[in-house]
Amino acid sequence: MHSKRKLAYLAFAKKGLIEMMPLNLAVIPWGILCGSLAIQRGFTTLEALLMPMLVYAGAVQLVVIELINNNTPLLTILLTAFIISSRHFLYGLALRTKLTPQPANWRVPLGFLLTDELFALSSHRKSYQGKLQLVYALFAGGSFYLNWLFWNIIGIIAGSSLPDLTELGLDFAIAVTFIALIVPSIINLSRLITVCVAGVLSTVLTLWQWDYALVISALVAMLCGYITTNISIRLRKSSKKRIANSDI
Amino acid sequence: MTLLTILLLATITFLTRYLFLHPKLPIKIGDKMESFLSFSSPAVLTAIWVPIVFIRDHQLDIAPSNPYLIGATIAVITAKLTRSVYLTLIISSTIFALVKLYMH
Repeated sequence: MHSKRKLAYLAFAKKGLIEMMPLNLAVIPWGILCGSLAIQRGFTTLEALLMPMLVYAGAVQLVVIELINNNTPLLTILLTAFIISSRHFLYGLALRTKLTPQPANWRVPLGFLLTDELFALSSHRKSYQGKLQLVYALFAGGSFYLNWLFWNIIGIIAGSSLPDLTELGLDFAIAVTFIALIVPSIINLSRLITVCVAGVLSTVLTLWQWDYALVISALVAMLCGYITTNISIRLRKSSKKRIANSDI
Repeated sequence: MTLLTILLLATITFLTRYLFLHPKLPIKIGDKMESFLSFSSPAVLTAIWVPIVFIRDHQLDIAPSNPYLIGATIAVITAKLTRSVYLTLIISSTIFALVKLYMH
């Protein structure tokens, strides 16, 4: 039925918009900050606009604006951007089985839109499988992109008339939103261990100022979760064997 | 020059996001790898938020007066109880803002 399909598409599009909304709200101050910081550090309006439009990465934008302002050599800037962005490799790897089989005209734009926030919404079993899920992801990711662009533009317009926004504790909103997404997903011991290891290790490595703190702590945490799952599977198998043997 | 830098940066961010999604890459993901990767979401997102809460000015801040700590604790409890991203965000951010205000 043609209209039933359209209604389904509409429903999933709406779902994408609604579920991305908290993250859209959380990054408002960051968008404004990126836009206004670029202007304050002497970027032209075009350059300040192209950052969110093409680079589309808040952490990279903020750090790089300062690096460019300090006349840091190009190679250092690119290397820093690479380090900050390296966690996205993990996202691509994690979504490969689901997203890679999809047609390129979905896969490439969704790949472009694959920020932390879209990844946070991608952990459903059925994500990216079938048109409805792709529509969901497009609207979720697309709304985040447009939202990011919009607030960067607001920041650009406000320009120098804003005080230094970095001391307001705006990063808290990101932390809370991620907490809100992760905590309900901790449904077993493996995931609990993953989260604890990730948190502790990431804090330690960040204090030690390791470049790859995020990626390393994530990988180690994933390993711990994986090992825990295996151990509990093995324990369950051996206890089943014992029960089976004791029936003889 | 800045324009060139921006274009190169855009290439980097896009590559990190898209590279492993490209079908022509000779990477096969078996069951074990799939299981391992299934932990990537809680791992990475936690690795991002925990330092935000516990680190201030490159130092560990576990004082009970740390507004981030208070806010995050409320957030964990609220998230566990309500399972609502909106409620958790509003309640925790409000408490965070209040604590921060009163700390001055």
